[in-house]
Amino acid sequence: MIRAIFYKEWIKIRWYWLLALVASIGFSGFAMLRLARAVSLKGADHIWQVMIDRDAIFIDLLQYLPLFLGLGLAVVQFVPEMQRKSFKLTLHLPIKATTAVSVMLAYGAVMLLTTFIPAILIKFCYLQSVLAPELWQHILYTAAPWYMAGLAAYFFTAWVALEPTWGRRVLDGVIALLFIRIYFQPAKPEAYNDFMPLLTVVTLMLPLLSMLSLTRFRDGRQD
Amino acid sequence: MLRISKIFFWAIVAVLLAWQLPWLYNFFFAKSTKSPFTLYSSVIGDFAVIDFDEKDIIYTDLAGNIYTEDEFDTVLPTFYCRQLMADGRFPDTICGVKVNPHQVQVENFHARYSPSDINKPKIGLYALLESMSGRVDLQMPDDVFRITNEGIEFIDMESNTINEQKSQRFTEMMLRKGFKFPATTLSGNPTDRKEYDEGYVILDAEHKLFHLKMTKGRPYCRAIELPEGMTAKHLFITEFSSRRMLALISDTENGLWVVKRPTYEVVKTGVPSYNPETESIIIMGNMFDWTVGISDRESDRYYALDANDFSLLKSHTYDTPDSSIVGLTFTSYNDEFVRPRFE
Repeated sequence: MIRAIFYKEWIKIRWYWLLALVASIGFSGFAMLRLARAVSLKGADHIWQVMIDRDAIFIDLLQYLPLFLGLGLAVVQFVPEMQRKSFKLTLHLPIKATTAVSVMLAYGAVMLLTTFIPAILIKFCYLQSVLAPELWQHILYTAAPWYMAGLAAYFFTAWVALEPTWGRRVLDGVIALLFIRIYFQPAKPEAYNDFMPLLTVVTLMLPLLSMLSLTRFRDGRQD
Repeated sequence: MLRISKIFFWAIVAVLLAWQLPWLYNFFFAKSTKSPFTLYSSVIGDFAVIDFDEKDIIYTDLAGNIYTEDEFDTVLPTFYCRQLMADGRFPDTICGVKVNPHQVQVENFHARYSPSDINKPKIGLYALLESMSGRVDLQMPDDVFRITNEGIEFIDMESNTINEQKSQRFTEMMLRKGFKFPATTLSGNPTDRKEYDEGYVILDAEHKLFHLKMTKGRPYCRAIELPEGMTAKHLFITEFSSRRMLALISDTENGLWVVKRPTYEVVKTGVPSYNPETESIIIMGNMFDWTVGISDRESDRYYALDANDFSLLKSHTYDTPDSSIVGLTFTSYNDEFVRPRFE
């Protein structure tokens, strides 16, 4: 049954997943090409110095990409199903409703990660060839909360999308927006390092919120 | 599962309320008090103050004397040196000492350090300039160094490889001078936009103080003897024009010390307490005195020090109560980290 749910989810998100993968790889590749061009024009020493002295990280344009990819994936995965009211059918499968929703969310999260990981690998492969470990780790650690925000956006959007009433959707949306701000506090590179373990745990607990929407859906709440 | 979900939901709501409600209150209602511009004057032996009364600027001192703008220039002749020169009013002597404008300008300095200069993520790579190139202009090096448990490593930036020869030469010199790796803290000013370079002051693994620089491509490392019972904690290299000091040091007891050049003598200043991790400091110095302003959330404390022996001449405190309320925040003026804290 779980494999059948995986297949159903794959059918729903496959084109979006491909688009997200291309966007994720494309933007990372573009950022690395821009950096490679700067290295060839100004020399690696210039890049090292501006990183050390001026907190430059050269991947700023990627900051909100994981957020939008996560948000988009949840919209594609859950909104059409809710609009067509076919989500009810999922709950009639011979599997516990909470398990079914958990499997859907886990599948979406893993597929989202498969769009993030190649982008991170591209950055790692290029950066470690021109930068000292301290510097490429500096860049990747700085990007860590952005990717965590992508996961959070996915879970929050799923929570809002599964909510059956508009009033509560707005309230949940406001809570989600405020919470997402935590991942984008104005800060210097690597400022989140100490906070990341706690932020990761909290982010991985966010699917619990979807269970509230599921309960309200099953209780027949509607506008 | 539902119960855990509900608890988690309310926990998130509680976090957001504890964060956003105090922020909203502070944004609209909190007021901070600023202390007036205050600078010690050896001419009058008191703090000179520029205050504001609605729209008017008041030039005064702590004794209550009121000055005109021109009089105030002469109260702070080293600070308003250029104005006095332009007016042809620069004195031949200040406090009985013969002076000239060039001498005054060379001896003048100001330095400012805030807690966020210390409490921030550090990359751990540093540029070591050539201190004695024989050229007037300094040049940035083509390598950077890191200090490991075993030694100092210089990494060539263009090739991203370790310069083994140079690394070995510097490591051997530092070991010979008694340096115990790794370093606990270091301070330098790696820029070519300065008059001269003094490299780095470094605390080793045993909290002993060293001065490291590169002269004619060779390592210069010198142990600096610290006074008995003093444990250095934070270092600030100075590189002021006067070249009279190498660095400022704060110790574990919140004392402020000066490392003098060229003797490497470490002298305690008359500043009663300065904690660089929570307080910001501004020092404005001249050939006669230093004005040291130390600020925290509650007050701005001003200390006047004798420029020669750093003894305390006078002090004054302005209360600057902060009417903001405590709430959950993720950033702070005291550091460059993002993490939840109540402030």
